[in-house]
Amino acid sequence: MTATLTTCPYCGTGCNFYLLRDEDGRLTGVEPAGNHPTSRGQLCIKGWNAHAFVEHPDRLTIPQIRTKGNLQPVDWQTALDLIHEKLSGIAEKHGPDSLMFLSSAKVSNEENYLLMKLARAGYGTNNIDHCARLCHSSTVTGLVETLGSGAMTNSLSCFDETELIFVIGSNTTEQHPLIGSRILQAVWRGAKLIVADSRKIRLARHADLHLRHMNGTDVALLNGLMRQILLEGLENRSFIESRTENFAALEKSLAPFHPEYVGKVTGLLPEQIVSAARMYAEAEKAMIVYAMGITQHSHGVDNVRAVSNLALLTGNLGRPGTGVNPLRGQNNVQGACDMGALPDVYSGYQRVSDPAARLKFSAAWQTRLPEKPGLMSTHAIEAAAAGKIRGMLILGENPMLSDANQNLVRQALEKLEFLVVIDIFPTETAQLADVVLPAACYAERDGTFTSTERRVQRGRKALTPPGEAQADWQILCALLQRCGVNADYVEPGEIMAEISRLTPSYAGISYARLEGNGLQWPCPDAQHPGTPILHREQCARGKGRFSPVAYRPPKELPDASYPLLLNTGRIGIHWHTGSMTRRSHLLDREERSAFVEINPEDAEKLQVRTRQQVKISSRRGAIQAAAKLTERVPPGQIFIPFHFAEGAANALTNNALDPESGIPEFKVCAVRIDPC
Amino acid sequence: MLKRLVERDLYDLLGRIADSYRLRVPGLLDDGTRTLLPWDGQQISLFGEPPQRKPTAYFFPQTDPLLKIDPRGQATSAAVAEKPFALFGLDSIDLAALAFTDRFFSNPPPDDHYLRRRNGALLIGLTGYAGPSREFLPLVKGNCDLELIACGEYWLARAGCKSADHWLAHYPHGDQEQLAVLQRESAQWNHWAAVAVQQAMELLQQDLVPDSFWEEIASRCILCSGCNLACPTCTCFCVQDRQTATGTVRSRVWDSCQLDAFMREASGHNPLGTEALRTRRRIYHKLVADPERWGEPGCVLCGRCDRACPTGIGMFAVTKEIVSRFAISSPD
Repeated sequence: MTATLTTCPYCGTGCNFYLLRDEDGRLTGVEPAGNHPTSRGQLCIKGWNAHAFVEHPDRLTIPQIRTKGNLQPVDWQTALDLIHEKLSGIAEKHGPDSLMFLSSAKVSNEENYLLMKLARAGYGTNNIDHCARLCHSSTVTGLVETLGSGAMTNSLSCFDETELIFVIGSNTTEQHPLIGSRILQAVWRGAKLIVADSRKIRLARHADLHLRHMNGTDVALLNGLMRQILLEGLENRSFIESRTENFAALEKSLAPFHPEYVGKVTGLLPEQIVSAARMYAEAEKAMIVYAMGITQHSHGVDNVRAVSNLALLTGNLGRPGTGVNPLRGQNNVQGACDMGALPDVYSGYQRVSDPAARLKFSAAWQTRLPEKPGLMSTHAIEAAAAGKIRGMLILGENPMLSDANQNLVRQALEKLEFLVVIDIFPTETAQLADVVLPAACYAERDGTFTSTERRVQRGRKALTPPGEAQADWQILCALLQRCGVNADYVEPGEIMAEISRLTPSYAGISYARLEGNGLQWPCPDAQHPGTPILHREQCARGKGRFSPVAYRPPKELPDASYPLLLNTGRIGIHWHTGSMTRRSHLLDREERSAFVEINPEDAEKLQVRTRQQVKISSRRGAIQAAAKLTERVPPGQIFIPFHFAEGAANALTNNALDPESGIPEFKVCAVRIDPC
Repeated sequence: MLKRLVERDLYDLLGRIADSYRLRVPGLLDDGTRTLLPWDGQQISLFGEPPQRKPTAYFFPQTDPLLKIDPRGQATSAAVAEKPFALFGLDSIDLAALAFTDRFFSNPPPDDHYLRRRNGALLIGLTGYAGPSREFLPLVKGNCDLELIACGEYWLARAGCKSADHWLAHYPHGDQEQLAVLQRESAQWNHWAAVAVQQAMELLQQDLVPDSFWEEIASRCILCSGCNLACPTCTCFCVQDRQTATGTVRSRVWDSCQLDAFMREASGHNPLGTEALRTRRRIYHKLVADPERWGEPGCVLCGRCDRACPTGIGMFAVTKEIVSRFAISSPD
């Protein structure tokens, strides 16, 4: 038996476990790492089953090229040559910005870095993005503006010493179970818990206050809390004076948000708003935890600004047990952002529009670099549908199921002249590709991943990839070399060495130093111990900036034709588009097919019974799913997880985008239900 | 037969065993946790916390291919390694867990796949002053083939069965008096959680724990299934069939009674359809059903479920709470 310590491939919590192999080299299971600071001998159900999909017979094992409509096996050389010929051909004919590169929050830091290098140095475009666009792009935009850094400000250990946790728009026990459990432990230790979520999520059972505000009314709620805090003199005046700016503008902006008005907008009782404001502001140390319920709105950045304003107003920043704590979804979504798999920044958030940064990367990569920021992935889909993006390379993502408005995505991908997909399974997106390359999965390659608390950790190779599959970094090196860009790395540690040379926040990070429990960035030099808490003496931008926001309703609300509000998201047992968890026996068995949560009151009106198949329609599409009658959702709202291709929630969702972050409004659109 | 071994003898003994067995010995993993690992002839972690991985996993792994069915419908059993396992470093609790699991899988109809691995395997207990910080671990009562009893600078060694005598033949005799002292110490040894588990068991058997308690405990559960997967006496598995180009591979996979689908019928109806019912079942099975079936509880007090549970509702925690809330007089 061998036991290989590695980082969990699922959420951003950053648990570590051992992959166990028997003498025949077969994976037999996992064992949580007993002394790891996050896992502490524990895992969630996905972690306990993280070995299960690795050796699934559906794994892609050989490169394929579409010939006469069908994907046919070819050798690597042919596939890579064709990719380079097609991408460079399109760039030459229509300009580099007619290409789009989609990176992945599932691949390592090194691989994200290489793909952004390929897009920028190899093909001359800043059109690179990844699925953070769909989850925390609002956070990056909002928190960079207000605090100067878009990452979780504090560490998971802070839950052990906080007095109050305000969870808004995060189903933590299901989506970040080992963080959810820490919140529960804090509650049992005596910390107070406020949960703001329209659904009766598991965490709400333990909350001192559960605010079931209407989806999309977060700004009104948060502004209402701040107005009340000011009214009662519960703000932290010394913090506001010494550490912040623009307070007067905030104060002015809050005037309309009196409890009665907020109650009317949110559906809450005015006294709930007053209670929540007092409870949060009276705590000496309070943490705000949020996730997709805040970010996935057409006003997602405004929501983030409001969250940040609330923390600044009460001085809950820069100390243990406080902070603005966005929980990052994928195991390397923080790292993918850090590595510059974004259209406007290189690694370490160095702006492509900054001539000094451009010069630095040009010198390192020995090539000229484009200065115009690239397209966000959501805009790239629109551009592809309009025929402006002609070639696309997608690394380990499945936009056919994960992006809003599936019909638009299909139309866009089908319209491309050339689509390359690199993945581990034949996903719905890979089915549309001209070339499909088989990749190694997390268990088959070395690399690093950065968790939600900015902890950079090693992923380690436990077994060889199936068939001819190769690690993404090897595939990307082969493409870089075809572009004439130096990429002769022998192993991923050498890529990290280049990253640390070019990225101030990773400058002190090396594979040798990551042994043990990893390092939390910023880690600016080789002796630096890492940074568990950001913004301690001052914010990363200097003064914390209050950024006043006005309430804007969601783009599409229920009406006579589409009378129900659709909320989408994930369930604890499955992961995103299901390509891994639906191929993990125990997880697949637990939830086998698409379902829709309907409140019993609505079900009665609709005459729908439990487990009955129903048709759900929006202005963009229609799907079928089995009805699950539950009071988890309030009357008037339904919830559909987006894991299931056969009942794809994103066939219904609205691709109304936040004007700044480009995130779609996954949490609100109007639908109707009809019996099948 | 009682023998006396110094450290050199111990390594000599293990070396001879390793010639005929796939020997697993306690070692430290990268994060410092202790587990049983293949022996490379190097230093062994002789003392410390019990190995994290449950010992039954060697004979009943989390994912275990059972047979392959070729396209013509011909089924072939999965091969089992020629050399059997020898597990060194098992304490009385882990040996009790193995005995419990052996009995379950040997009970008619016997589980051939388990027994093919288990038969011929050598279980080597490590007891005496071998716990964390050299704490005392009670001696075992016949659940192993060989027992090594740590006594400071040397070990007493005894065979648990006649067929294992030959392993110890050429070592000098040990001191019977000293063994008697250690046996007396073992007789007085009590697991810190034993009283609460026993009292909780009695309360459950008398049906003195209301349903509302299980609703409350279940509300803390985050459905990780770790309690079952870490438990050395949990034997439930489900069947996974995977079709490949060369046939179908049927494996068994550890299951968890905490999952909705564990008992869900094809119709969708579930006789254990709430988390409260499933949580109740987990504890009842160990403390009520197992004593009725086997004459002893299904909990061997290893504490693995408490360590694996992210929300503190493992066996020790739940039984402690049962006793504190429903016992007429609480334990000390």
